[in-house]
Amino acid sequence: MKKFIAVFFPLLALSLLLSPPLFSAETVKIGLMGPMTGPWASEGQEMKQVLDLLAEDINSAGGLNGKKVEVISEDDSGDPRQASLAATRLTTKGVVAVIGTYGSSITEATQNIYDESEIIQVANGSTAIRLTEKGLDYFFRTCPRDDEQGRVAANTIKKLGHKKVAILHDNTSYAKGLASETQGLLIEMEGVEVVFFEAITPGERDYNAILTKVKATSPDAIFFTGYYPEAGLLLRQKTEMGWDVPFMGGDATNHPDLVKIAGNAAAKGFYFVSAPLPKDLDTPEARDFVEKFQKAYGHAPNSIYAVLAGDGFRVVTEAIKQTDSTDTQKIADYLHKEMEGFPGLTGKISFNDKGDRVGEVYRVYQVNENGEFILQP
Amino acid sequence: MEQFFQQLTNGLAVGGIYALIALGYTMVYGVLKLINFAHGDLFTIGSYLGLTLLTSMALTDKLGPFFGILLLAVMVMILVGIVGILLDQVAYRPLRESPRLSAVVSALGASIFFQNTIMLIYGASFHVYPQNILPRMVVNVFGLHIPMIRILVLLASVVMMLALYTFIQKTTIGTAIRAAAEDQGAAKLMGIDVNGVIMIVFFIGPALGGAAGLMVGLYYGQVNFTMGWIYGLKAFTAAILGGIGNIPGAMVGGILLGVIEALGAAYISIAWKDAIAFLVLILILIVRPTGLLGERVAEKI
Repeated sequence: MKKFIAVFFPLLALSLLLSPPLFSAETVKIGLMGPMTGPWASEGQEMKQVLDLLAEDINSAGGLNGKKVEVISEDDSGDPRQASLAATRLTTKGVVAVIGTYGSSITEATQNIYDESEIIQVANGSTAIRLTEKGLDYFFRTCPRDDEQGRVAANTIKKLGHKKVAILHDNTSYAKGLASETQGLLIEMEGVEVVFFEAITPGERDYNAILTKVKATSPDAIFFTGYYPEAGLLLRQKTEMGWDVPFMGGDATNHPDLVKIAGNAAAKGFYFVSAPLPKDLDTPEARDFVEKFQKAYGHAPNSIYAVLAGDGFRVVTEAIKQTDSTDTQKIADYLHKEMEGFPGLTGKISFNDKGDRVGEVYRVYQVNENGEFILQP
Repeated sequence: MEQFFQQLTNGLAVGGIYALIALGYTMVYGVLKLINFAHGDLFTIGSYLGLTLLTSMALTDKLGPFFGILLLAVMVMILVGIVGILLDQVAYRPLRESPRLSAVVSALGASIFFQNTIMLIYGASFHVYPQNILPRMVVNVFGLHIPMIRILVLLASVVMMLALYTFIQKTTIGTAIRAAAEDQGAAKLMGIDVNGVIMIVFFIGPALGGAAGLMVGLYYGQVNFTMGWIYGLKAFTAAILGGIGNIPGAMVGGILLGVIEALGAAYISIAWKDAIAFLVLILILIVRPTGLLGERVAEKI
């Protein structure tokens, strides 16, 4: 027993010393759920950098309604199973709102968990249409939807004068949704034909077999709706085959690594539809933010989705400030009804009843010979 | 018809790489009856080490592309081989007498450990091999466009496989490995240093996996820390297809799997490519439960 006491009390004292202060309710906790590991880890890590920076900003300016803001991040690994665990963990940590996450299928796995716990969720990269068609009261997103993206993609294909289009997706809910959305719009258009429509397996290295098959249908443009790692490989292997068909991508191909993977020569001329890049944002808020980010991390933000996560964080903190409360129902009501033209990093932000962002966001970009993304007029 | 042959070459190139990785699974299984799930990550380590050595030592500038890559390959193989031995010493050796399931769990743990270590060292974003180290020539054979590098990849894997086969069949050490695979207890009684044999196996298998990693890096240009998972899974399938524990089986299984995938994608459906490959695997296992060239009875894992 003596031995027990000798061990137990020092341990108890130690644990009291190390544990956070008991009255830690003085902070406003905002969760971040993002892919910190896994195939999209670079996205998630940048999301965290953005949120840390913005939180520090608020805290150094006196906090939010007199309280410090604390960002609690959880890793979803870009995997739906992992994400539901991360979401469950976040709900136990007293967060008011959760920012994230990137992929639509990952977000979808967590929507109900947050909704049941009445926690606000603001997705930053999940563009699949059905996410906001479920009537969830606490779900918002700062990124646009795939029907708008599909419309812009289809119009661009038509405008560039392509007649026979091959569409490839990767079977994720985002890519498949965008692919069928665009296919539907293209079929209705006069003089445009979809000659090929199929899914590839993401995560592989060799897409020669697929490209050979697509080539046999002799399309005059390919539209790939998946993510940048595969898009880069497709571009590279297409060029190695000596095939110079125009190639277009959805907004998940918007990442500097695309050019790294494909190489400048193969990436040249690649079109993609995307929300504007951080460097092309011309609001004063954005310029100020990019400058601060540059100073803190030594480079400009790479990913628009990380910036959109920042916007998610900013609308939530704005709502908390305006309503002077952390009651999620009040915050949700404010975001739905009262927020009007909030100056976000990526432009003006308002939400409709479904929690979707209002307004046109998408632009068309093309890669030039130096591998830079150039905004098309 | 032209498309058929084009797809065949696509499949052969992928299959050659599957085969090289499959050899690592099959050798370890042959001797230890253990599926080394960390093998896919040793493959990733190979591709990252190749990248680091290539960019830091500028071998191809000093020695020309051919000898530069050759020396690079030797260095990568030795280093990954050493990692393989360390893996065995740390993760498997202490469990040699434990139930086999413990070692499998340890293998899965080692896989996660390697993957995250690579991520922490190199970061999560993609890494790219410098371009134009290898001449990007395209050879025209009977109207088929075959990139030179694809022929080289296939050739290199075949040469390595033949070298391994000769080594296993003709040398004393090879005989010792075969003996240990046959019956460890009896091999010990015959004076074979079974622990030494295991060490050699854990050197050769990972070394070949590392070489495959280097080839994937050179050929596809892009590496990231999760790439070992899919390649590992496919190579494991290839090893089962050919008969796990059997070295020619791994070679045949790898090449066959690559070709089935390419032709399945070409003539049936791209999205069903993997399903087709696994369907073929199931059919072959129904007819030949030990795989195409397997002799021993397959044991459950």
